[in-house]
Amino acid sequence: MAYNEHPFLTDIKVTDPTPMPDNVPKVDEVGATSAPLKSASFFIGGFCKDYNEDFMLCKNENNDPAHCLKEGRKVTRCAIDLLKKLRENCDKQFEAHWQCLDKNNHEFYMCRPEEKIFNGCVLNALNLKKVIPGSPEGQTPINLKENPIYRPRPRT
Amino acid sequence: MSNTLNTQDLPPEGGFPSVRYQRNLPKRGPSGSVLLLGVTLISAYGLYRLGQTNLERRNIPTSKLFYRDRELDREKYWSRIHLIPLLQAEMDRDLYRRTLATQAREQEVMSDVPGWKVGEKVYHTKRYVKPTVVVIDE
Repeated sequence: MAYNEHPFLTDIKVTDPTPMPDNVPKVDEVGATSAPLKSASFFIGGFCKDYNEDFMLCKNENNDPAHCLKEGRKVTRCAIDLLKKLRENCDKQFEAHWQCLDKNNHEFYMCRPEEKIFNGCVLNALNLKKVIPGSPEGQTPINLKENPIYRPRPRT
Repeated sequence: MSNTLNTQDLPPEGGFPSVRYQRNLPKRGPSGSVLLLGVTLISAYGLYRLGQTNLERRNIPTSKLFYRDRELDREKYWSRIHLIPLLQAEMDRDLYRRTLATQAREQEVMSDVPGWKVGEKVYHTKRYVKPTVVVIDE
C-alpha cells in the first residue's frame, strides 16, 4: 500500500534505490563527514570559489534541482579534488585538525594549535589562505589572535 | 544621736570612679567607603571583561560603535556558507533522481487513465515548488 509521508519531517527512512538515468553524467559524491568538511571549509571556499558562486547564481535563477545539475557536478568535483590534494600534501595535519574538531563539538577555538599547523601546511603546499570575510580592517582575525578570551581549558 | 552621725555612708576617698557606658573597640580593616569602592572596581572590571567576551563571540552587525572583534560567530557562519553549494549540489542530485523515479512509477500506475499528465504540478505557477509529500511504497 502506498501512502503519503513528509519528505524530511519524518522518522521513516525514505529510500529509493532507483539509479540515476544514464544521460546524466556520473559523479562521485564527496562522502566526507562533517568534521573534515568543517576543517577544510575555508579552503573549499577559496579553492572552489568560482564554481561555488556559479552554482549559487544558477540556483538563484531557478530553484529546480534539474536546472543546476551541471554546475553542481563541477562544485562536487572541485571539492573532491581539493580534499584529495589536502590528503596528498597535508594528510597528518588535516587529520589532527578534524579529529580535534570532532572531539570538541566542532568549535574552531578549541583547536587553534592544530589549525595553525594545518593552515601553514596548506599555505605552503597549495597556496591557500584562510580568510574570514567581513573582518574589520586593521584587526587581527580571530584565528590569529594571540590571547583570545575563548580558549580551551588547559589539557591535562 | 552622735552614734548615728558616725556610721553614715559617704563616697570613698577621691570620689566614685566614672561609669563606663561606651564600647571600646579597636578600629579594624578598611572603612566602608573603601570597601564600596573596591566592590565597584571589581564589578566594573567583570562587566568590562564580559563585554569583551561578548564582542569576541557574537556577531551583531548592527552597531558601528561596537564593530570590533566578535569574530567567532562570523568564522562559524562563513565555514558553513562555504559548504552550502557542496551540500546543496549533492541534495539536488538526489532529489532529481528521486523525482524521476517517482514520475516513472506514476506513469506505470496511471497508464490506464486517459488524459493523465505525469508529474503535473498542483500549483498554478511556473516557479519550482519543492515536493511536500513523498509517496512510500510498502
